Amino acid sequence: MGVTPALTPAHPRRVLITGVSNPLAAEVARRLATQVPSLFGCDVADPVSAIEEMDFVHADTRQSVIGKLVRQLRIDTVVHMAVTVDSAGEDRAAHETNVIGTMNVLAGCAGPSSPVRRLVVKSSQAVYGAAPGDPSFVAEDAAGSDRPAYGLKRDLLEMEQLAQEFSLRTSGCRVSVLRLGFRVSEGTTLGRYLSLPVVPTFAGFDPRLQLLHEDDAAEALVRAVIEGHEGVFNVAADGIVLLSQAIAIMGGKAVPILPPYGRWLGRLALKAVGVDVPEHLADVLTFGSVADCSRLASTFGWKPAYTTRAVMDSLARGKDVEVIEAPSPPQEYELQVYLQRRRRRARNGHPGAALMLQK
Amino acid sequence: MAERATSIDTKSLRRRSRKAKVVSPKAAPGLRMPKQIRQFQRQAPVYALQGIGELSTRLREMTGRDVIDVNRLMEIAQFVYQQRELARRGPDYAVDDFGFDAEWTESFLVLFKALYRDYWRVETTGIENVPATGRALLVSNHAGVLPWDGTMIKTAIFAEHPHPRHVRALVASLFMGMPVLSWFLRRTGQTVGHPDDTRRLLERDELVLVFPEGVKGTGKPFKDRYRLRRFGRGGFVSTAIRAGAPIIPVSVVGSEEIYPMVADASPVARLFGLPYFPVTPTWPWLGPLGMIPLPSKWRIQFHPPVHTESHPPESANDQHLVMTISDEVRNTIQAGIYDNLKLRRGVFV
Repeated sequence: MGVTPALTPAHPRRVLITGVSNPLAAEVARRLATQVPSLFGCDVADPVSAIEEMDFVHADTRQSVIGKLVRQLRIDTVVHMAVTVDSAGEDRAAHETNVIGTMNVLAGCAGPSSPVRRLVVKSSQAVYGAAPGDPSFVAEDAAGSDRPAYGLKRDLLEMEQLAQEFSLRTSGCRVSVLRLGFRVSEGTTLGRYLSLPVVPTFAGFDPRLQLLHEDDAAEALVRAVIEGHEGVFNVAADGIVLLSQAIAIMGGKAVPILPPYGRWLGRLALKAVGVDVPEHLADVLTFGSVADCSRLASTFGWKPAYTTRAVMDSLARGKDVEVIEAPSPPQEYELQVYLQRRRRRARNGHPGAALMLQK
Repeated sequence: MAERATSIDTKSLRRRSRKAKVVSPKAAPGLRMPKQIRQFQRQAPVYALQGIGELSTRLREMTGRDVIDVNRLMEIAQFVYQQRELARRGPDYAVDDFGFDAEWTESFLVLFKALYRDYWRVETTGIENVPATGRALLVSNHAGVLPWDGTMIKTAIFAEHPHPRHVRALVASLFMGMPVLSWFLRRTGQTVGHPDDTRRLLERDELVLVFPEGVKGTGKPFKDRYRLRRFGRGGFVSTAIRAGAPIIPVSVVGSEEIYPMVADASPVARLFGLPYFPVTPTWPWLGPLGMIPLPSKWRIQFHPPVHTESHPPESANDQHLVMTISDEVRNTIQAGIYDNLKLRRGVFV
């Protein structure tokens, strides 16, 4: 029996997650697996650990295969997470993924033949950049101000603009864009920067930092998928810590030696230390960027569980614990494919497989 | 079996516990002083204060007047001690969402009170017009290259008001982009001059200080002193009406003479992205010494509040009403400046 997508589904039934192999998207998939009937994931790379309830498809958002995928699988909800929000410098690949990839995904979801009724796009607080004249709490409407955009910020702005145009053109599809706050888990640029034993900071500046815990980021995305809130939302933790505080919590030592003017020089110095800080992040580490999340609180009726201080504390605790990378063993992926095939056969009415599943 | 397992467990635990070392703080690297010298180092501040106390009594007996102000010295000692205590807090302190650290700010009040009482000898009138609780918008004239006038208004309310409270001043984005200054301003409760920030602070029932003249006021040449510049487009009035906050005009006299700006080196300013580059009789000729402000005589007057809360919030869009109130506030401040200039006997006395 096929699930016919209703015009406005109250609850998403067939969900596709793009870029599912990155850790945050995998976490979203894990949480969605129990809440939606069918879950599909696509990415260029294999997932690190297998999720049994999810069907994995090798698909590159930079190629225009999403349209076919969406129509063949009768996807009603697309969670677009093949978006780079943490890249160093003028990365050509980030532009390809964010702008070209999103363009392809949106083109795939557009048109009268498209079954997609809900689209959730991951974005980042990086779209605001940071400047001395910014209000202390930037609201959602403040993005894309008169300041010239560069690097990742420009890509993300362009991506959001595409999403906005899509939502205007496609009346039957609810689009939500989540601007996730800066995350500091292992592997993120900010996390690596704060974990340095001796942290060079921009001389004479001690900006306010606002962060977001991975759990809260995943929870916000899941809520956006299930509840389908339309619009652009800032998602970031309550409260702030000062950069010097954050470094002290991590047990490092802040050394204000980076020149306050000419931030490219400071970025060069940081690159020598081993942390390639992108331009927008260098601005954030100078002037600070704090988002106003009142729209999230009023529309979602939910706010992140971790405060910024708690995010910092959990990062500091995690630093002492030996990190155990837990990818599935190589056979796991094959097992997943095998289980997928068996389920599909069961659905298509293969008697043997159905019997085995019943047992 | 289970019993035996536990007995093995406790045995192994005991063995391990015997191995556990008592962790003692490691000796500081470098040369370790002999015990007597270390003891003396610890006691030195006490000996010094005792010595100074005795010296001051001797001098008082000899000359018949106070040569050494012991209270002042105690204040300095307290300041140093407080700074050391604050440094010991580590990362375990809370700042508010704007980056304001109240404890840290209060530790600097000793310095600012010294400037207030002894350096600029500020005379403050009308402090009763500042409410002890609730929101209010202080509107003041702005002068003197660096925003010392804001500091003195903040100190005045802390030093003179029966219910001392922190004033949150709004600062031009230019200062927020400057190293050191931006850090210090944020940490002591200032935030960027954005209507959104004003609204948020007023909604938290804070006392907010604005300088509608902005950098046009601080960067005006010495010959134009005490002539108010344009008050923007009256944005502060609309914000006050929307938040239902009374406006308290403030006139400051004396801030114009701290750095007499005789010229503006605009090419240098353009090079650093500043709106003006002051040239005073001492700056930049004397280097950092030129940044020492002159000891002019100051007067600060708080005027009776202009009650904007009687207007409904929608009238914030009424440009005529906004400009009328803005002009009224401007005239009050200008008149107050002239009054206080008359009351002042001279620039430096």
